[in-house]
Amino acid sequence: MTASALTRPGERDRLSVKLGQIDWRLTGVITLIACAGGLMQYSIAGGHWQPWAAQHMILFAAFLLLMIVLAVTDLRVWFAVAYPTYVIGLVLLAAVMVVGHSSLGADRWLKIGPMHLQPSEIMKIGLVLALARFYHGLSAKEAQWSWKLLIPVAMIAAPVALVLKQPDLGTAILLAATGLVVIMLAGLSLRVIIAGLVAGLAATPVFIFLVLKGHLVKGYQAQRLLTFLHPETDPSGSGYHILQAKIALGSGGILGKGYGLGSQSQLNFLPEKQTDFIFATLAEEFGFVGCISILILYAAAIVIALRIASISHSHFGRLSAAGVTATFALYVLINGAMVMGLAPVVGVPMPLLSFGGTVMLTVMVAFGLVQSVRVHRYTEVSRGAGALI
Amino acid sequence: MTEPAFFFSEVNQRQSVFHRRAFVMGGLASLGLTALGARLAELQIFENSRYTTLSASNQYNFRLVPPPRGRILDRNGVELASNRPNFRLLLLKDEAKDPEATIAAAGTLIPISDDRRQELLREIDDGPRFVPVAIADDLSWEEFARINVRTPELPGLQADMNEARVYPFGGAFAHVIGYVSRVTSAELKAAGPTPDPLLLNPGFRIGKQGVEKSLDLQLRGKAGGQKVEVDSRGRVVHEDPAGDIKPVPGDEVVLTLDADIQNRALEVFGDESGAAVMMDCRSGDILCLVSAPSFDANRFVKGLTTVEYSALANYDHKPLFNKALTATYPPGSTFKTMVALAALEHGISRDTTHTCAGAWSWGGRVWHCDRAHGTLDMKGGIAQSCDIYFYQTALAIGPDAIAAVARKFGLGGLYDIGIPGQKPGLIPDTAYKRAAFPKDPVWHPGETPSMGIGQGYVNVNALQLCVMCSRLANGNRALNPRLIESIGGVVQPPGSRAPDLPFKPDNLAFIREAMAAVVTSGTAAGAAKLGLGPIMMAGKTGTAQAHTYAGGHGAHGAVGAWADRDHSWFIAFAPADDPRYAMSVLVEHGGFGAAAAAPRAREIMRVALLKDPQVRARIETPTPMPAMPTPPPGQLPEGAAPPPPTPLPGQTT
Repeated sequence: MTASALTRPGERDRLSVKLGQIDWRLTGVITLIACAGGLMQYSIAGGHWQPWAAQHMILFAAFLLLMIVLAVTDLRVWFAVAYPTYVIGLVLLAAVMVVGHSSLGADRWLKIGPMHLQPSEIMKIGLVLALARFYHGLSAKEAQWSWKLLIPVAMIAAPVALVLKQPDLGTAILLAATGLVVIMLAGLSLRVIIAGLVAGLAATPVFIFLVLKGHLVKGYQAQRLLTFLHPETDPSGSGYHILQAKIALGSGGILGKGYGLGSQSQLNFLPEKQTDFIFATLAEEFGFVGCISILILYAAAIVIALRIASISHSHFGRLSAAGVTATFALYVLINGAMVMGLAPVVGVPMPLLSFGGTVMLTVMVAFGLVQSVRVHRYTEVSRGAGALI
Repeated sequence: MTEPAFFFSEVNQRQSVFHRRAFVMGGLASLGLTALGARLAELQIFENSRYTTLSASNQYNFRLVPPPRGRILDRNGVELASNRPNFRLLLLKDEAKDPEATIAAAGTLIPISDDRRQELLREIDDGPRFVPVAIADDLSWEEFARINVRTPELPGLQADMNEARVYPFGGAFAHVIGYVSRVTSAELKAAGPTPDPLLLNPGFRIGKQGVEKSLDLQLRGKAGGQKVEVDSRGRVVHEDPAGDIKPVPGDEVVLTLDADIQNRALEVFGDESGAAVMMDCRSGDILCLVSAPSFDANRFVKGLTTVEYSALANYDHKPLFNKALTATYPPGSTFKTMVALAALEHGISRDTTHTCAGAWSWGGRVWHCDRAHGTLDMKGGIAQSCDIYFYQTALAIGPDAIAAVARKFGLGGLYDIGIPGQKPGLIPDTAYKRAAFPKDPVWHPGETPSMGIGQGYVNVNALQLCVMCSRLANGNRALNPRLIESIGGVVQPPGSRAPDLPFKPDNLAFIREAMAAVVTSGTAAGAAKLGLGPIMMAGKTGTAQAHTYAGGHGAHGAVGAWADRDHSWFIAFAPADDPRYAMSVLVEHGGFGAAAAAPRAREIMRVALLKDPQVRARIETPTPMPAMPTPPPGQLPEGAAPPPPTPLPGQTT
């Protein structure tokens, strides 16, 4: 097929063409990371596919298919469902507060039939879509500094407040940070950004004081938030997670203890080894070299996704792709910092590596969106409801 | 598309801002990942060795293997304290999430009373977090086997075997050896911030009294370790016998005591209260150190019930109290040996006579004696224990001269015998009076006669009197007592020599003669005969007032309520002609020295003498038979009785 052939009207809507436009490099990187995850799940189960590795890989295969389906879904469909997704997410978040199923002290799950639904995951995609759609209709000047910016701020604040109430600090931070990234990418005045940074720095001591006093978060969260600075003071209590993770990382050395030979994870010293602390398991068994390889894969995924966002012709495409990429990058950075004792333990998993269907679904939907933006990079999206609907 | 979607210029501006900022965002994300990489380098490359160690200490654990506690033996190797296997049932606190349910489960295997259940729950609450609690001790083999089969299905319960302390003789050595018992929280605190991990081991017992306490660290030994690989809950995944550390058993302690003598000594006290101390005059070794009545030290190992404890603590014969070391009493007439020697050294002749009419007026009051002894010289004064003779002798030389001699003989002194609890008592002199009575610092002559008969301020313990007696028996050689013969095979220095006594050998020989006369013809003539052929004992009786008799508190001898009666003393050495063993015997509130203490001293002394091969050789040497007239053949009827043996001198008196 020549380049000129693609300029023919309707040519780009053919399924075979669309499949060819999917970024297979990105798909390859994602698959590599997910396989590394499966490898680790297999190792920490003592060399068994059960209970984690098999489910991890099966889910990934299913979600990979889903990603391809989403990738060929017209960007205007995404545009059309942006606000509904956001509203549904918000309603479900509110519903969780009323009839939530408590897991580990936090009301996050909504049980619908056999399915356990976590509305905050819908919101991770919904918020980005809604913000992108909103900014799609906004002029550069308005995006820079105008009263209309109160709307995206409210759009971010509402779910963040609900999620904080659950309480799920990690997701709240993720949502808020993603929203702020989108606002900035959309063209918020640099002066405002700088002023915001200065104000944020100034408010930090006050924030820390409030956390210490337990005004903002529950007691156990406040403790978790601050012990990462000195985990040794309470090695068997609140400092246990971080201390054991650091031991797992540090004892891995350059080349690691060898596959299946990590004593920290194999002997259960490392808590939540298959989910939030999977990276420490990998670090213990594959060492510095293994860790850097995985980090390079993550960096590649982020850079490729950002490039895809940049080549999109529609503002909605750009912002939504970059927004979900920001979510993905924040996952990696927060989890990495947490495992390495640089940040508090807030319960954010390592995407694709950690065991857990919900987060993997979110991430794969996000990559489906990114791929869709690439496949439909020339698609014009109107400011209205979108031509298809 | 029905209308132009955007203004071109505006699109350009939105797009270029996005491009710039997306580029910055990509940069920041990479920066963040690089920071993570740097942190990884820090942890995995630069701090690798530190975390490798931490990981290994997570992975491997040393299970404590308690060492066997050192045995305690007597001089002949008889076990006085040893260990026996103890099967027990433990509750593992970290596995038993619900202690009450776990105890109930244990109750299906062995009987647990309600009281015991309450006690256990309290113990579980109070103790350190990871230390198991013993639910039951001393299980029979059948019980142990039954529990062992069932424990896999009962989480939190574990049957195991440890060693428990046992004292084969029960009470006879309780005051010397002491006992071991549970570690109290105060003792744990005293052990400092990093206590010996043994102290936390369930069932560990620490020395509380006597040798068990003073040599606790030597007896305890060093804990060993069993190297095991554990998971995060401390469950053993794998054992590694090559990495085990063997426990170092506690040192064996050998005492100078002789179990036969000690047991006999406690036996002869019967229901009476008192103390007996015997030393080997030649070496200073303590052969017997008994306080009666005693208590069963084994009960303390298990832990006394409150009822048992208060029964022991409230008994007026004070079984928990070491009367040989910790209690001091006036020595009574046994002190007259010191007064007599002081007088001789002071130049007073042994032929000086005083006349006793049963009472003597001096200093405005009447001083009494047991009976009217008539005119006595010094030897008679000692043998008959005439108070009036010694009132006057003491007055003639004064308190300082007497005190100087008494101290040289070891009275008022403390001895390093390796166990705590000695009280020095008091040998008074004018300096003491000045220091102790600032309001009345002068020694009044009226205080001297009391001192002359071992009363007044004079106070000694039984060990001191035994030391005094051994030094009298020894001539000029003065020995200090020794109780610990060896620790872990290392022989302790034998009773370090005190300076030789600066007294005339002739004077000492005279005192010994007088003490022999006490037994042959004096106050103890009836009570202190050994009945061992030529082997004789020499001694001195003492009858010490426990209270002043004023106010209706009894009278001299064994009169009145038990607590008001006189203390009965007897000091002795034997054989009288070649002293080997010296002893002191106290019978608290026993009345006259000759009545209560002397016969007991005789019985104890007989055991020591009969165990001594050289003494036995002397006893068994047939006395030369009187020359028998050769009977003419046929004159002696068949089966005629041999002539009766000549009675031993003094046996009939």
